[in-house]
Amino acid sequence: MNDYIASLIQTTCISLIGVVSIFPLTGMTGLFSFGQAAYMAVGAYVSGILAVKLGMPFWLCLLLGVLSCGLLAIIIGYPTLKLRKDYFSLMSLCLGEAVTAVLNKFGTITGGAAGLSNIPKKSTMPLIIISAVVTVALVALFKNSRFGRMSLAIKADELAAKSFGINVFAHKMKVYIFTSMIAGYAGVLYAFYLTYLDPNLFGWTRSSEWVIFLFFGGVNSLTGSVLSTIILTVLPEILRFASSARIVMYTVLILLVINFKPNGLLGEKELRIPVRKQFRTRTRG
Amino acid sequence: MALLNVENISKKFGGVCAVDGFFMEVEKGEVVGIIGPNGAGKTTIFNLISKVYETECGRIWLDGTDISSYTQEQAARSGIGRTFQNIRLFNSLNVLDNVKVSCDYKPRYSLIEAILSLPRTIKGKRETHEEAMACLRAVGLEKYALEKPGNLPYGMQRRLEIARALALKPKVLMLDEPAAGLNPEECAELVRFLKDITQKFDIALVIIEHHMDVVMNLCHKIYVLEFGKTIAVGTPEKIQNDPKVLAAYLGEEED
Amino acid sequence: MVLFYVQQLINGVSRGAVYALIAVGFALIFSVLKFSNFAHGGLISVAAYAGYYFSTKFDFPPVIAILCTALIGAVMGIILNYIAFYNLQRRNSPNIFYFVSSITCGILFMNILTLMFGTTFYAIKPFFKNNIIKIGNLIILKMDIMILALTFVLLAALMLLINRTKMGLALRMVSIDKDTAMLMGVNSSVVITVTFSIAGALAGISGILLGANFTIDPFLGNMVVKGFIASVIGGLGSLPGAIIGAILLGVMEVIFTVLVGDILSPAIIFVMTLIFLLIRPQGISGHFVTEKA
Repeated sequence: MNDYIASLIQTTCISLIGVVSIFPLTGMTGLFSFGQAAYMAVGAYVSGILAVKLGMPFWLCLLLGVLSCGLLAIIIGYPTLKLRKDYFSLMSLCLGEAVTAVLNKFGTITGGAAGLSNIPKKSTMPLIIISAVVTVALVALFKNSRFGRMSLAIKADELAAKSFGINVFAHKMKVYIFTSMIAGYAGVLYAFYLTYLDPNLFGWTRSSEWVIFLFFGGVNSLTGSVLSTIILTVLPEILRFASSARIVMYTVLILLVINFKPNGLLGEKELRIPVRKQFRTRTRG
Repeated sequence: MALLNVENISKKFGGVCAVDGFFMEVEKGEVVGIIGPNGAGKTTIFNLISKVYETECGRIWLDGTDISSYTQEQAARSGIGRTFQNIRLFNSLNVLDNVKVSCDYKPRYSLIEAILSLPRTIKGKRETHEEAMACLRAVGLEKYALEKPGNLPYGMQRRLEIARALALKPKVLMLDEPAAGLNPEECAELVRFLKDITQKFDIALVIIEHHMDVVMNLCHKIYVLEFGKTIAVGTPEKIQNDPKVLAAYLGEEED
Repeated sequence: MVLFYVQQLINGVSRGAVYALIAVGFALIFSVLKFSNFAHGGLISVAAYAGYYFSTKFDFPPVIAILCTALIGAVMGIILNYIAFYNLQRRNSPNIFYFVSSITCGILFMNILTLMFGTTFYAIKPFFKNNIIKIGNLIILKMDIMILALTFVLLAALMLLINRTKMGLALRMVSIDKDTAMLMGVNSSVVITVTFSIAGALAGISGILLGANFTIDPFLGNMVVKGFIASVIGGLGSLPGAIIGAILLGVMEVIFTVLVGDILSPAIIFVMTLIFLLIRPQGISGHFVTEKA
């Protein structure tokens, strides 16, 4: 296979994991986070540093990278998820900035602005593709469980959700930790795919790119998010857009969607697997 | 001790005393009505009992447990079910899922079990499904399980709210104006329906209502409020002849 | 040593003055429409480039250049309202849509500027030939004094407009309830357009002054985040609160830069804002509206 196509497939898959990682948080629970790329950064850096500086094996780096994201999510989520939704969004934006600042400051460990290099190349094409597919499946199962339903209820009406026994804060925490760990996993894959990291890879533009993809596909549709990620990552590559032009294209698309099709490309529609049908017919009986 | 025991609760908004020293006792199987002019503090009482507002003073006992310091979700889990005056259904969820939400706090399966679809998840989903369908059947909405609530007529939306509250398996069900917007026949039907579910689900019912025929035909005991104060308590017959109540309702009585 | 801290205090206040200018425009939109308008940053960037053209390319005197930039800002504000928010108002969309729309527009404006001008830095010709006033060993910049003074003048003008004029009354009505205001004969969409043009003009003034104070690049407007934090500290929607919050933020930022260095200060600001929000979510001056059941 052509190298260019191979790298396109792999970056698209990693993006896909990123976008799918914010689906439960932003799409379903209605918490707009503009700093989830910070978790990707943490996952990438923790695993990368462990591999480069301590020579740990890949699987251990992966595990610790993802776990450290979960830990950070607990620390950050505990105070911020108690705040109003728009304050949470703001704090998530600041979190992204803060993480970049810390990465730049502690250059002796992270490589600072010059970057961290010599990470072994462990993310192979099959691993990345399988990861993307599995992540989508996990999130789909999340959506179809009681957790997905609670998320949607919280998004629709927090006060009513509380009146029916849902511990809103605890649920938001669970979702936040879950999604942050997936973002961290995307980060680990990314680190071991690029073999090189620098803090600018994880700025707020990447976080907002994820939100934009999600919004474009339809905030309530996982299928829509997957499709829009693929379209919006591959299209600019084929058209060979400069990065600013690409962002202009994204933003114009979002404005069109918001103005004329506020539910996104697919709204609430999902690609259904036949298993669901039995469930549906049983409902009628 | 009564099933629900409300002792001396009050709520102030700024300088205005919305509820001033309210007492209430509700026995199992009893239907209690709260009436009063608009702004008398009826909905505020519901919000205090269901813990939307924190209890600043007074105590609330449910089935012998002091729930005064509970959070909203703890109150719901301990058996306070309610509906809202301005219907608050989850519009992005379908009718069945709206009811299922009430079962969702139960830890039938964990997040990890859910995303890996382990056996407990499948069993848990089935249990939730059956409980929710039973509640929908009880209110006669099983045919509309997969509709969006926004597509249902107003009366059915109110019934769906009741079904959702019933799915909590409440000990006390509080309905905020269940007959709003219904015509006389529908009101009579509602009275039958409410008597029926009170027996079938073995609960106590507290209703806020402006339709006097609904209140008088349904309730065993009525509390009358004016400006946050309780001005009369008693059986429907007693309330109908109370001079204070007549004064408060002057011109509004023959509604 | 004391002198050193006094100097830092002065530096902090002057940085706060810059944030205050941003925060006022930001708070104005919040007080009327109840959403955080991040597109304000995009307007500031556009205005900075416009200001560069007026003051440096066309060589207008500073006052005229500021006025022209304010005008451009006002026009941009109206355009922004129509491309980003008009349909949302018509459809009564949930608040989060406004938020996403405004962030998107901010990013859009900044990236269009990048496409047009590249990321090279532009500098506006200094407004003052001799920018420095020396009091003993203390250094005060004329530019900072001007920004601070202008902020207060603009605040006073805005408060007069809101509290003393018919337009202001309509504005307050729309801010309480758009639909009721419409039933009372207030043309809400006109009021909202006017609000955006005022906020746009404020963004214009902020843009040219920021451009003159720093150098111009397309992402200058990202400073809107500081304006946002300032207005959160001050109490969202409160104009005087925004200014107090901005100056407080400026002073704290300078102090922390001295203590922990420039690079780490975003992290410190993050933690500080978080602690503040947890202790006092309603801000210094504001009061919190609780949801009605």
